[in-house]
Amino acid sequence: MESLKLPKDSLLGASIITVTGNTDIFVENYKGILEYSNELILLQGRNCKIELKGKRLNIAYYTNEDMKICGCIDSVRFL
Amino acid sequence: MLQAIRYWRGYLSIKVWGFSAERFINLCGNRNIVLWDIKNHGDYYTMCISLKSFYQLKSITRKTGTRVVITGRYGLPFLSLRIKKRKIFAAGLVGSLVFWIWMAGFIWNIEIQGNHYVTDDVFLDFLSESGIEAGMKKKEVNIEELEKAIRNEYNLVTWTSAQINGTRLIIQVKENDLIQETPKDTLLKTEQEGSNLVAGKDGTVIGIITRSGIPKVSEGAEVKKGDVLVEGCIPIYNEDTTVRHYEYCTADADVLLRCRYQMTDQLNETYEKKVYTGREVRRRYLLIGSRKIQFPIFGNGYEAFDVLDEKERLTLFGGYELPVYFGKISKREYVKEKRIYSKDEIKEKFEGKVQKFIQSLEEKGVQITGKDVTIKRNKGVWSLQVDFTAEENTGTPQKIEQKPLEDGQEE
Repeated sequence: MESLKLPKDSLLGASIITVTGNTDIFVENYKGILEYSNELILLQGRNCKIELKGKRLNIAYYTNEDMKICGCIDSVRFL
Repeated sequence: MLQAIRYWRGYLSIKVWGFSAERFINLCGNRNIVLWDIKNHGDYYTMCISLKSFYQLKSITRKTGTRVVITGRYGLPFLSLRIKKRKIFAAGLVGSLVFWIWMAGFIWNIEIQGNHYVTDDVFLDFLSESGIEAGMKKKEVNIEELEKAIRNEYNLVTWTSAQINGTRLIIQVKENDLIQETPKDTLLKTEQEGSNLVAGKDGTVIGIITRSGIPKVSEGAEVKKGDVLVEGCIPIYNEDTTVRHYEYCTADADVLLRCRYQMTDQLNETYEKKVYTGREVRRRYLLIGSRKIQFPIFGNGYEAFDVLDEKERLTLFGGYELPVYFGKISKREYVKEKRIYSKDEIKEKFEGKVQKFIQSLEEKGVQITGKDVTIKRNKGVWSLQVDFTAEENTGTPQKIEQKPLEDGQEE
């Protein structure tokens, strides 16, 4: 697998999370939202769940492929 | 960019609540419906959705058991809807647009640049005679014909350029600067026949330098106006000192003449002075074409007053000048009072006049070497007499009458 140098996200179905400072999160490769409130966003990935905690969380946009979250981010956890 | 596309297509802000709003968002994602600005308000969510996708929501709401309410409509598709409701407003908008386009097809102002000898008034009169006036249609102006007509009408004008800028017709003119040098022309004409130099004024010659011709006066000589100073016909003598024939040339010389100028003036001792009472009325008015609307319309009741009129033209976008003026009139009342000039005041008045006279002489090239001023008062009238001694160059060309040769000298 390593020698083939193939992108892991497409093979393992791993999510890609890009965090810019503590204000923006950009998420790709997920199945859907499980929970959404101002303090917590719980996303369903292909293998695991992703928990984003923070304050004043807003979804700037949401499509089937990617989403962007704005707000004050405290933590990113994989459950 | 994204904003512009959203605006163009139209979008809605919606409010979603119910059993599982998260599932509603997931399903939207699955069906490739883009949502943005999703916000959680506790028991309900607000978000934005494009107009086209909104119609696909019905099945999703049925499946998830959520309810959707539109809270705002944005974008171009809704703008036209709103305008449909305001028909008069839309008509006004279109009407004003048509009005501006129509008004822009006229000439509202004529501007003339570069004219000195031909005044604006004369020019405008000529233009209106040839059918060009403020308020005519732009299409009716034939610029090339106009330029040609101006050049034909005024010989002074050596170059013209007319152009239409917005609603202004700008005419640029170049006049012949050499107009003042006409004496040279007359000089050339007399060259073949020869000319004398004659005195232009009475006086005493104090200097003479002759370049061509025979000087007839010397320094210290008294001359009268019209006396020949330098003769332009030169006699060629035979050996026996009789004249063989005459050669004619243009007499040319610098002749410095000492002469006198006199200036007299009179001034009444009493005069009327305007004393302002301090009462003043101000009126604003609107001038459309030649019709004047004044606010307020009442008059004033002053017996004598000064009028100060300021008006400003309505100009749009820098170039579109309309025949509409806003103006302010202020009328100041005054009372006439009889006053008597004091001696100092009289002196000052006369002094100003003398200075003006001296200036006008100096412009002509006359140099003043002395002046003698007398001011007298007689029966309430002040009279001034000034005698100037001055030095000036003199000499005007005059055609020579052909001198006949004396008898028997021919051949």
